[in-house]
Formats: sequence, structure tokens, C-alpha cells
Amino acid sequence: MAYEEGFSIEKNSVEGAKMSASQDRATTANLTYDELAGLKAERELVLLIGPAHPGSGHMKIKVWMDGDIIQRVDPDIGFVHRTTEKLSENRLYIKAIPIVERVMLPDTINANLAYVIALERLLGIEPTPRAQYLRTLTSEINRITSHLYGIGLYGIFLGSSTVYMWAFADREPLIDLLEEISGARITYSYIIPGGVRWDLPAGFKERAETVLQYMEARLKDYEKIWVKNPVVMDRTEGVGIVSKSDAIRLGITGPNLRASGVDYDTRRAKPYAAYPNLDFNVPTFSEGDCYARLLQRVEEIEQSIRIIRQVLKDIPDGRIISDDIYSKMNPLQKRMYEMKHRVMFPAYMASMRPAAGRSTASVEAGRGEIFFYLVSNGDKVPFRFRWVTPSFLNLPFFTHVMVGQHLADLPAIYGSSDYFPPEADR
Amino acid sequence: MTGRKNNRIRGHVDALATGFKYLAEPNRMTLNYPDESMNLKDNYRGFFAVKDKTCIGCSLCEIVCPPKAISMLDLTDAGGKKKKRPMIDWGLCIFCYFCVDICPTDAFQTSQVHDKAFYSETEYQTVHGEPMQYPYDYSKRPDYKEIYESFHDVAPDDPSAGSKKVVPKFDKKRGIKYEHPGQP
Amino acid sequence: MIQILSLLVSVSLLSFIEYILPPILYIIVFPGLIVVLLMLFFMIWLERKVAAKTQLRFGPLYVSKRFGGVIQTVADLIRFSFQEFIIPAGADVFAYIQAPGLLMAFGLLPLIFIPVGPYYANIFPANYSLLIVIPLIIITPIYVILLGWASDNKFSFVGSIREAFLVISYEIPLILSILSMILLYGSVNAINGVSFQIGRGIPGIVLNPIAAFLFLVVMIRTTGRFPFEISEAESEVVMGPYTEYSALFFGIGMSLPYIELYSFSLLFSVLFLGGWWPIVPSAAAASGVVGGLLLPGLVVFIKALIVMAFLVFLRAVYPRYRIDQAITVGWDQALYLGFAAVALSIALVWSGLV
Ligand code: SF4
Ligand code: SF4
Repeated sequence: MAYEEGFSIEKNSVEGAKMSASQDRATTANLTYDELAGLKAERELVLLIGPAHPGSGHMKIKVWMDGDIIQRVDPDIGFVHRTTEKLSENRLYIKAIPIVERVMLPDTINANLAYVIALERLLGIEPTPRAQYLRTLTSEINRITSHLYGIGLYGIFLGSSTVYMWAFADREPLIDLLEEISGARITYSYIIPGGVRWDLPAGFKERAETVLQYMEARLKDYEKIWVKNPVVMDRTEGVGIVSKSDAIRLGITGPNLRASGVDYDTRRAKPYAAYPNLDFNVPTFSEGDCYARLLQRVEEIEQSIRIIRQVLKDIPDGRIISDDIYSKMNPLQKRMYEMKHRVMFPAYMASMRPAAGRSTASVEAGRGEIFFYLVSNGDKVPFRFRWVTPSFLNLPFFTHVMVGQHLADLPAIYGSSDYFPPEADR
Repeated sequence: MTGRKNNRIRGHVDALATGFKYLAEPNRMTLNYPDESMNLKDNYRGFFAVKDKTCIGCSLCEIVCPPKAISMLDLTDAGGKKKKRPMIDWGLCIFCYFCVDICPTDAFQTSQVHDKAFYSETEYQTVHGEPMQYPYDYSKRPDYKEIYESFHDVAPDDPSAGSKKVVPKFDKKRGIKYEHPGQP
Repeated sequence: MIQILSLLVSVSLLSFIEYILPPILYIIVFPGLIVVLLMLFFMIWLERKVAAKTQLRFGPLYVSKRFGGVIQTVADLIRFSFQEFIIPAGADVFAYIQAPGLLMAFGLLPLIFIPVGPYYANIFPANYSLLIVIPLIIITPIYVILLGWASDNKFSFVGSIREAFLVISYEIPLILSILSMILLYGSVNAINGVSFQIGRGIPGIVLNPIAAFLFLVVMIRTTGRFPFEISEAESEVVMGPYTEYSALFFGIGMSLPYIELYSFSLLFSVLFLGGWWPIVPSAAAASGVVGGLLLPGLVVFIKALIVMAFLVFLRAVYPRYRIDQAITVGWDQALYLGFAAVALSIALVWSGLV
């Protein structure tokens, strides 16, 4: 689809040049097609934005411009490809957890969760209810940090360093919350087959509530200085519009899809973890422009706060690791678990051999749906390890939306899509 | 927060007023790192060491380590008995604590030490000045025994040792406040 | 013979003190080069500090920690002076090297024609000061365009074209804004404008708020403060016209907006903020350098500092406009505001209210 799109645009712009040239009939009437193309080339400015450009991220965006209007965009990705799939296919199942985390650093819990769900389906293990709630809790905290990351980067794309600094500073309390649970700041490696690794520390609920209240208060200031800032509205409203049908046709996912009015959220469509038991809204916007995508993220932060409150209220007691795994622990490890509520790995973790078969999993990450496909042939390592990350799905966005916009809209659109190159390149 | 209708003048005034609010009452989140450093939480995943007495040399930690930072050394103890002990390459370790958790005897002594500065590339492959072979074959070295011993007895140095320790506290208004434990 | 010589010497010494020294003082010390340099150091530091405070950070701190890192900019200057100056292969070398120098010269020139005290009339011809300042302010950006053109870099090129468009679209509002004040004060002599404000006891910003607002907007635009930081927009065109520059030449490009900011702010405080009010030098005091130039100049300088501080604070509040939006503001709203300002002045003068 994307290729077709790019091709047809190219054709159009060649014809466009022909048209605009033929308006000047006196001078161009006798020109051949080649000469016309040369004329077009003279009008055209090709900008190579990236990979070492302050506004490109780890990718190269080739932009053909006529005046200030973008004629064609060719995003060139792959600069941070890390062969995660092949790496994981040569390692024990458990070792893929840190690997999948590393490509989506703002959103590690969700990557971890998606992989572990696929693995659990291969192994036939069900996590305990408390573990399900803990997964939802950490995943939602992580979603807020991921959205804040997106909002912050959007700020610097449009030139507001304040929002950039604010968002990154406000990730700090949330990251601290996750640090209290897992002992790491970004790469938590928190979710394992059968459950999670650590239980909530004492007094966590009160501290989490403090942070949530702080976040809510801060969102009001964000609204004043950023969301409702007239300059921001001028820059984003009506820019980079993706219609509902286009969004579906291009396969866009996540907040970008919902901002175009499609009510699709993996948490609803294919429920996992504790989401079936929770009451939350899936906000959507019909406009599909950059401003809608900006609002979408703010609204989703509000919804995540709501979910976290519910989880903390409803979380059931019980083990955080399934009986399958618990029964495989040795007596010392069981004692450690009872004492510290910390899951020690039985030796099984290093020798998991799922029965031959295949499994899939989808998880709604901060930027959209992560899809996992695992094939086992009964060996200690996956036979096929395949995953599709949301940023990769959001890539057609670039070629589709930017055509016909101003050069200055390129960062506005790029930032609004919250595209994260390492995540797309995997 | 939804809704696009907005009064432009109100928007400008609000934005400027919010900016002024934070200018007048700065809510700083930065930690002045080399002067202050955070008192990390009890469960923070920092450097660790293996308790020689408790380890049974089962190699599970080596098997589970994702970046292959652990390699097993063949050692001979004082009584002439052969034993295997893990050696950790801090240049590779990602502090996932898989090894800590999989150890059947809980032989790992964990710490909250997180900051360690290396002056050269080879230094993190060394233990207290002793260069080690890269990447895995420590056991081939004749002096592996001393290396090993010097490793597991001494905790890693912390470059932020001289700094003022602060404790982050959540706060409804400011998000995070750094408190000095000495102060009331 | 000796008597004649000594007479000549004493006369020339006297005339040196009386006629030569004040202009040198004006150009070299205040409000000229030395104060400009100090202001630059302070302003860049202040901008970073103000932005940092709003953004939950500390800003520059570690160079002179006791004083909040205030000499950070000096450290930056030292760094710039030790960097290698690179001339790109495809650059137009002559233009590439001369443009920053000319830019600096033309950026500093307006300062001479902005009177900061009544004594100014004794140093330079003050009668047409406003008429001279306008073209000098407007001509500076031409060298920015030259700079971008000479660099042979697409981003520089795009940046300088942006600058050119913006200059053209904000020229007329600037002229209209100053024109309305000229109409109001009935003189193109800025000193008369200040006496007018002091005499009536009303600053120009109250007399014609439209012109003041317009001047402020043009000032933000010309000095590239947010939300009009468009020709250097980092996420779009890297560093705009200055992309290829390095070392001290880049430093010139970086500091030029602040120098422009300085001259604009001085002009703003003279035209709109009552000049050296509340210091009203008596005729006797005005004929001395201290009473007629330094003390009033200090007041104007402090007012200008406040204006500058406000403008650099905008960085912490706004993102940037798109180029076409900024141009539209220039040709549409700003132009109408300019006409409105002129109309208001005419109405005020006509009705005899002032
Ligand atoms: S913490 Fe992880 S990476 Fe480090 S040695 Fe243990 S298993 Fe290996
Ligand atoms: S897992 Fe524990 S007991 Fe086994 S080798 Fe490693 S440290 Fe020793």
C-alpha cells in the first residue's frame, strides 16, 4: 500500500510540474518531456533530513520540495536495526525479555508483557489474578511515561523546550514508582512467564496516589502552556489530516489511529491482563489532525490514571506467580518467596522447552499495538521469533500525510505521530 | 481537556501566566549529581557479589545470563578441592538480576551501588587493576585465583561516595522532593 | 611662540575632552561596545537561567557556582575562540568570511543613533535620529541572507530565504509603528520625543498602546525570539543561515540577535517607556557628561534590560510559528495594527488631546 502510494504521488508531481510549466505556454510549448522534467528539477529542492539532523531522529527523511511545499517524502529507516529477531532465535526463551525491552525504551513493560503473553500461550501457563493486576498497573504507569515522552518530544519538535523538559521531568515520579516495584529505572524485566517478579512494596498505594494527584495537577498546567497555547493550536490544527478510511487503509495503529476516529484499542478488542475487569474509556477524536493526536495522548494519560486508581483499589490478594512455576521452586526459593514476596526463578526458567506449536499475542503499547508471533519446535530456543512494533506500522504516515504540507509541518507531523525509530527498526 | 474552541487572548495570557508561575516558584527536579546523589531504594538492582561459601557451582547463573556476562571459573580451594565459581564482566552486565533470582542457594550478595566510573575501556574488564581476558576465558589465566578472590571480597567503589545523599520523597505539589536524611 | 603652542595644546586638550571624548565614550563604553559585550554575557546567561527555572532545571551553574554560573557565557566565548574555523568546499569564500563581520558592524551601528540622554545632542546630530535608526535596523538582515547564500548548504539557503521573507513582511509594520510615534511627538528627534513624554507625564506606551504592541511584536520577530524563531528553527533547518559556521563566526551569528535585541530595547524604552524619566536633568546637568548622559542612560538601560528579560522569557512559553503563518501575521494583522496605530496618533494629535 505504502509503495503504491509513493509511486502515485511521484507520478502526480511529475504531471504537476508539466501542468505548471504548460501554464507558461509561450516558453514551454516546444519543450520535450525530458526538458520539462529538467524544469521541474530546477524548481525542486531535495532536502536530506537526517540521520544527523536535530529534527530527524535515527532516520533519514528525503524530502522533495517545490518552494516551501513538500512534493514527496521518502523515509529511509533501518539506521538502528538491531536484529532482535535473530538474536532471540539463538537464545533461551527467557533471554529475549531484556532484548525486546531494549528497542522500546520509553515503553519497556509493554514490550515485555507482549512477549511474555506469547510465551505463556506457548507454554500453556496462566498467570495468577494478582499478577494480572500488577501487569496492568505497571503497563499503565509505563503508558503514561511513554505518552509523556511523546508529548515532550513533540514540544522540542515545535520549539517549546519547556514542554520537553516538563514532560521528561514528570516521567521521574512515575519511573520512581516503577523503580520501587522492580528496582530498575527503565529496563525493568519485570514480567516473567507465570506472573511478575516482585510484589508491591508496603505503602505503595499511598505513594502512587500522591503521584497521580501530582500528575493531574500538572496536566492542568500542560493544558495552559502547551495544549491550549494559541501558537500550538495554530501549528497543529488542520495539519497532517488522516481521514478515518485512510487510517484504516494505511494500517496505522495506536493513538494515531484513534485520533482519526477509529475506536480500536487492543485492550478492548483482544483483552489481556486485567483489562476485562476494569472500567475505562477509549478516547477517540474525529479530526485526525496533529492537534487531535496531541489531545489523544493527553486524554489517554487521564484514562491511565483512572485505570491505575482502579487497579490499586481492586487488586486481589494472592500469589504473584502461577502454581506451575511456584511448584518448580526449591524449598529455599519458596521460603524466600514467602518472606520477601520476591519470585526466585526455578531452574526451569533456564530450560524452558515449550511444546511444538505457535502462538501470537497483541498488546496495546504506548504507541499502538505490538504483535508477537512465536513458533516453537520443542527446542530450548524459539524456532521463529517475529514481532511487529507500532512505530513500524505508523511509518506509512510519513509518505501519506506530509505531501502538500509546508516544510515546517514536517516536524509537526513527525512529532505528532510519536514515531520512535529504534522501535520501528527493531 | 477536549474541545478546540479557545479564546486566543485568554490562551496567551494563560500561557504567559503559567510560565511566570514556574519562574517565580521554581520546582526543580534536577539533582545536582556530583554534589548530591540519590539514596537508592533497598531493592535497587546494583552491583553484586557471589558468596563463595554459599555457591555450589551449579552454573545456572551462567546459563541464564542474557548478555553472557557471567563465565564460570575452575578454581581449586585451600583443601585442594575443585570448584566452579562465577565471574562477572561488568562491561556486559545489564543488571537484569536473572542470575540473582535463579541461584538455587541465594548465593548473591546484592548492593544498591549503581555508580561506577571507568577511566578506560579495559578497566571494566578488570578487577582492581588486574586486567582480565576478554570476553570469557578467565579460567585460562594462571592468576585467576587471585583475581577471583579480590573480586568477591570487595564491593565495587562508588564514585559518588563523597556526595551528599538525598532521599527522593513523593509530593503532591512538587512531584519529587529531595530530602536530606540528616535534616528533620 | 611657546605661548601660542601652549595655548594650542590646552585648546586641543580642552576640545579633546569636550568634543572627542564623549563620542568615544559613547561608542566604546556606553551604550557602545563594552556595555554591549557585558550585556551579551549577561543576557545569554539570563535567557538560559530563566528558561531553566521555568523548566524545572538549574541551568548554567558550574562555571562560577557562587554566582549561579554567570560567567558561563565567557567560558563559551573561550571555547568558540579555540574552535577551528571551517570553510565549506562549495562556499563563496569572500562572502562567507565577510558577511559575519558586516553583520556585526551593521548590528552595532544603530546604537550610535539612539540617544540615551539629553547630552547626546552635543555629541551627534540628533535631529534626524529616528529617521536614521529605521534603515539601519532594517538593513542588518540583508547580511543574514548573504550569510546563508554564501554557505552553499540547503538548510542555510532555506533559512536565509525565510529570513528574507520575514524581514520584508515586518518592515512596514515597524515603520508604521515608529511613524505613529513620530506623528505623535511631532519630531523625528528622539530627544524631543522623550521631552514630550516627560512634559506630558505620560509614557508613549499609554499614549499609543497599539504602536507599542506592534513594535514589541516586530522586535520579537527581528531578534528571532520565540514564537518567531523561524529562520533558525532547529528541528526544521538545523541552524538556519548559520548552519555551516563554526568557531567565533558562529559566535557572532549567535550573539547578533542579542545585539539587535539591545538596540531595539533601547529604542523601545526611549520611544515608549518615557526614556530617562524619572530622571529629568536640569539644563545645567544636561550639559555635563554625567548628568546628561550617564545617569539618564542608566535609567534607559535598566528599562531596556527589563524589556529584554521579558523577551527572552518568551522562550519558555512559546513554540514557534510556521513561516507562512508568521508572514500572514506580518502582512495581515500587523499591517492593520500599524495603520490603526497611525490613525490613533493622528486622532490624538487632531483632537488636541495631547
Ligand atoms: S544481572 Fe543479568 S546481565 Fe548481569 S550478570 Fe546477572 S544475569 Fe547477567
Ligand atoms: S547459580 Fe548460584 S549456586 Fe549456581 S553457580 Fe551461580 S552463584 Fe553459584
